Amino acid sequence: MALPVAQAGRDAKLRVSGIGKTFHRRDGSLLVLDDISFDVHAGEFFAIVGPSGCGKTTFLRIVQGLDQPTAGQVLLSGRPLSGPGPDRGFVFQHDSLFPWRTVLKNVTFGPELRGTSRARAEDSARGIISLVGLSGFEGHYPHELSGGMRQRVNLARAFAVDPDILLMDEPFASLDALTRESLQQELLRVVAETGKTVLFITHQIDEAVLLADRIAVFSARPGRLMRTVAVDLPRPRALAVKRSARFQEIVEQVWSLIAESHGPEEQKETPGRMP
Amino acid sequence: MAQQATMEEAHAQHPAATAGSRAVRALTRPRVLRSLISLVIVLGGWELVGQFVLTNKLFFVPLSDVLRALVELWEKGELQRHIGASFKAIGYGMALAIVIGVAFGIVMGASRTVADYTEVYLNALYSTPLVAIAPLLILWLGIGIASKIAVVFLISVFPIVISTASGVRNVEHHYLDVARAFGATRNQIVAKVMIPAALPFVLTGVRLAIGRAIVGVVVGELFGANAGLGYLIYTSGQTFDVPSLFAGVLCLAFAGVSLTWMLQKLEARLVRWKPAPLED
Repeated sequence: MALPVAQAGRDAKLRVSGIGKTFHRRDGSLLVLDDISFDVHAGEFFAIVGPSGCGKTTFLRIVQGLDQPTAGQVLLSGRPLSGPGPDRGFVFQHDSLFPWRTVLKNVTFGPELRGTSRARAEDSARGIISLVGLSGFEGHYPHELSGGMRQRVNLARAFAVDPDILLMDEPFASLDALTRESLQQELLRVVAETGKTVLFITHQIDEAVLLADRIAVFSARPGRLMRTVAVDLPRPRALAVKRSARFQEIVEQVWSLIAESHGPEEQKETPGRMP
Repeated sequence: MAQQATMEEAHAQHPAATAGSRAVRALTRPRVLRSLISLVIVLGGWELVGQFVLTNKLFFVPLSDVLRALVELWEKGELQRHIGASFKAIGYGMALAIVIGVAFGIVMGASRTVADYTEVYLNALYSTPLVAIAPLLILWLGIGIASKIAVVFLISVFPIVISTASGVRNVEHHYLDVARAFGATRNQIVAKVMIPAALPFVLTGVRLAIGRAIVGVVVGELFGANAGLGYLIYTSGQTFDVPSLFAGVLCLAFAGVSLTWMLQKLEARLVRWKPAPLED
């Protein structure tokens, strides 16, 4: 069921309709995503949470154009997606900087592919590098940086293509707690400054509540969209917001949705933090 | 874990110091000293054995005789001529092998189809002692430099192709995904991901090839030539001029050591992005 383009383009930056994904194996087929539909509005920070195995990463790869869905379609700014493109900036889960490129050269990678002149690309890259707080490290190689700094470069690289939407796949999962918190704050600041639309995937409920305007809760095997939860916490959100009663309430609400999807005996295995 | 993070931060903040101390460490005294001591022992031992143990000059000569022969050959202009001829063959042959070997290695690494059609021959030719066909090449191309270039090329191209291909094949899938996510075309992926990622492998192939190239040129010159270090060794052997024979061998050894050293320097420059290996 294709939606009229004009209608889709009016209020939804990203319109996901009826996305399904089945992997075919020798020993049968595996349904990973089942009929996922939602809209992300322009300038919205939209998070997806769910237990591991709920197909979050597969879903994001479909939006990025790295995988094809077996059903449904994705519209970005009213246009159906065909393959990967610089209209989406991807921040990967794992350390994905090119080790043979300096910080500056990693950030100019996207513009370089599009044939932007080196001077222009490097100029704007320097601006973005300072935006993520890494001025002075332009000439460093990734192995010379800490994990937190590398994720900042990843963020800068995604910003450098000036995407319509930023796709982030558990970008802070491999960081220690302190670094993660400072990068969450940094991300909130950068997103507020640039007004970017963000689709953010995480398995940490408190992270989703802290960052997002709305949270889609996925269930596991197959991944289904259970419900979308609006986060009505005021912005800007400092770390202190985590101690507010409202924050705890929303965390609890998301938590119980995930627990529900799992059934009582599996609750202990559910990832995410108990509030 | 926390400690590791702190160390990483420290590392991140003083990369210049790290690079500097790496250079210093390379030149630290104990290492240079050990090399010098080893050189003195080996060369001194050679001189002593030549003077007092193996005194029949038809079989063995002391180092001083060899050095004298080197000076004489230099003064006659012979040495320069031979070194020039051999190095020209190595230079042209290797250059050709690098250009063609890297290009083909990339194609082979990137395309499973090409690899399936060609791999068996490459592996066969890589392990065949190709110097054995040197006489044939001389028959085809004459005793001049062309046949030597051909020998050097043939013998050094295979390690380069094979290691380049395996370098391209070993590129982490993740990096290809990143490039595709940013909308890279196939050609851009080759140029901006596969080649830089495979570079350390390419250099390893070139290093293997250098040793083989030196053997190749000498064998080529043994079979038929009018100049070159192999030719010098061959003619000196025929006339029982043992000092000149050793002079030729010494030049070859020096060539091997210096070419490998140059390549190591090049490697250090080109793969600066790799974390420095831990040294003692």
